[in-house]
Amino acid sequence: MSALLSAEGISKSFGDTQVLSGISLSIAPGEPVGLFGPNGSGKTTLVNILSGLLPPDAGTVRFDGKEITRLPLDARYRLGIARTFQIPHPYPGLSVREAVRVALTVNAGKRKEGGGTREDAEGPAEDLLARTGLFDQRFVPCARLSQGCLRRLEFARGLACRPRLLILDEIFSALSAADEGDLTALLRAANRDEGTAFLLVSHNPPLLKGLCRRILVLEEGRIVRERNV
Amino acid sequence: MRSAAPVSVGWLAAGIGLLLLFPLSSPDAFLLDVFTTGFLLAAFAASWDVVGGVSGQITLGHALPFGAAAYACALLTSLAGWPLPLAVAAAILLAAAVGMGIGALSAPLAGPFVALLTLALGEIAHEAAVGHTFFSGPGGYAWGGEGGIPVALPWRDAPPFSSYYAALAFLCLASFGMLRLSRSGAGLILRAVAGSPITAQASGVPIARFKRLAFAAGSAFAGAAGAGFALHMGRATATDLSLELSFQAATFAAVGGRGTIAGPVVAALVLHVLFQGLYLPPSARVLLYALTLLVTLRFFPGGVVGTARELASRLGRRDGTRPARRGGRNRTGEGTR
Repeated sequence: MSALLSAEGISKSFGDTQVLSGISLSIAPGEPVGLFGPNGSGKTTLVNILSGLLPPDAGTVRFDGKEITRLPLDARYRLGIARTFQIPHPYPGLSVREAVRVALTVNAGKRKEGGGTREDAEGPAEDLLARTGLFDQRFVPCARLSQGCLRRLEFARGLACRPRLLILDEIFSALSAADEGDLTALLRAANRDEGTAFLLVSHNPPLLKGLCRRILVLEEGRIVRERNV
Repeated sequence: MRSAAPVSVGWLAAGIGLLLLFPLSSPDAFLLDVFTTGFLLAAFAASWDVVGGVSGQITLGHALPFGAAAYACALLTSLAGWPLPLAVAAAILLAAAVGMGIGALSAPLAGPFVALLTLALGEIAHEAAVGHTFFSGPGGYAWGGEGGIPVALPWRDAPPFSSYYAALAFLCLASFGMLRLSRSGAGLILRAVAGSPITAQASGVPIARFKRLAFAAGSAFAGAAGAGFALHMGRATATDLSLELSFQAATFAAVGGRGTIAGPVVAALVLHVLFQGLYLPPSARVLLYALTLLVTLRFFPGGVVGTARELASRLGRRDGTRPARRGGRNRTGEGTR
């Protein structure tokens, strides 16, 4: 099967520090992949490059056969690559529903060619909030959400573009058991029902084994092992 | 930024009604003039709020599109002989283009660097207008410099109340337009960009495009106010491009409540009429504006509207938080369905 996302020879350094050295990886359509590694191994830098937040110093990134190495974060989202952040950056003045509507409005604009309106995003927003367990908090300002709800909101934002690939940076860290269980179920459902591939970054090997078909181990900026689960 | 203030229709109607009736109380021409300039400055303050409040792009050069439109109006009517409506339309378009340019230049910048860039651009334009008598008018008069450039008006000595009503109508229309923009899908995205650019970008928002939109839209409204100001004063002067004017707009927005549109309009009207009505010299007025801004930022950082919302929110929590009533609005200004 041809790769949905592939990266070839990705290298990145910050000043004199070489963070990533010639990383190559590929993710097939609908494939759940884990990324494991100690702190400072370059996981977040790799995620930033794959999602378009950072350009690599060398190497290429392809999505669905097209080169997207220099495509920025927003364009990759509209293409179907959504990412979440290890530390969420919520909109301080928007409600939960408005935060989801932002992503849906941009996406509605893409579908309609004439630009999206708030009304285009209303129905899907309610559905997405119900699906991610945020419906009762839809009018709560994002700034007042608990850590668990912020992660759910990140997930909802990611799902808003009907992604073909979700890149989840430590989305399960510092969560209660209940929140972790809910998010795990959501991720499984997105993968099973919609065929969404994901790259899940985590420090938790049992969680990765439970969710992923393949786990990549990153150490000192190199993929040192690859395990099929 | 929070969404535009949910202005009560009753209060709005009462306010507009009082302003409509005011000229019937036979005020002197000076007071009518103070109100007329107040309406235009209120629209200008709201246009600053589109850029600096709703979109979070703090600009200290908002007088640039205001003044550019005023000068365009003066030059096109006096020098090129254009009919007034055409000149006004061209002036507004020019202001929007100026805003688009500022937005493009500021797109890679954030926070204080946007403020510094806009301050620099505004000051360059102001110094150029002050320092050069760059056109020679009919009869050998030098145009430009501190004296400015006259606007060729198709009427002579218009009665003060006609300017008053025209400016009031403009303020109502412009405020309505800006409120509609801030509550539209584009407005929602602009508020997202203001709140967290990285999350907005990770939600598919092309940040640079929306920054240009914010500056272009805010500048178009500023340009309309600037053209109106030039028509009212009969000339465009370097003061229309001054830092003092940009500072006033930012002060009105901060006092009224950034990102609310209605707050800056009310603050501009009240403060302008109050400070002008006290017959104070310009230097004293600048000092009063600065003091008002300092007091607001120190004690009411959300401005009047923001503070009122915070109080209402606290009272609501004390009484036990209830979901917004059906068809009503919640704390973020969102309507329920």
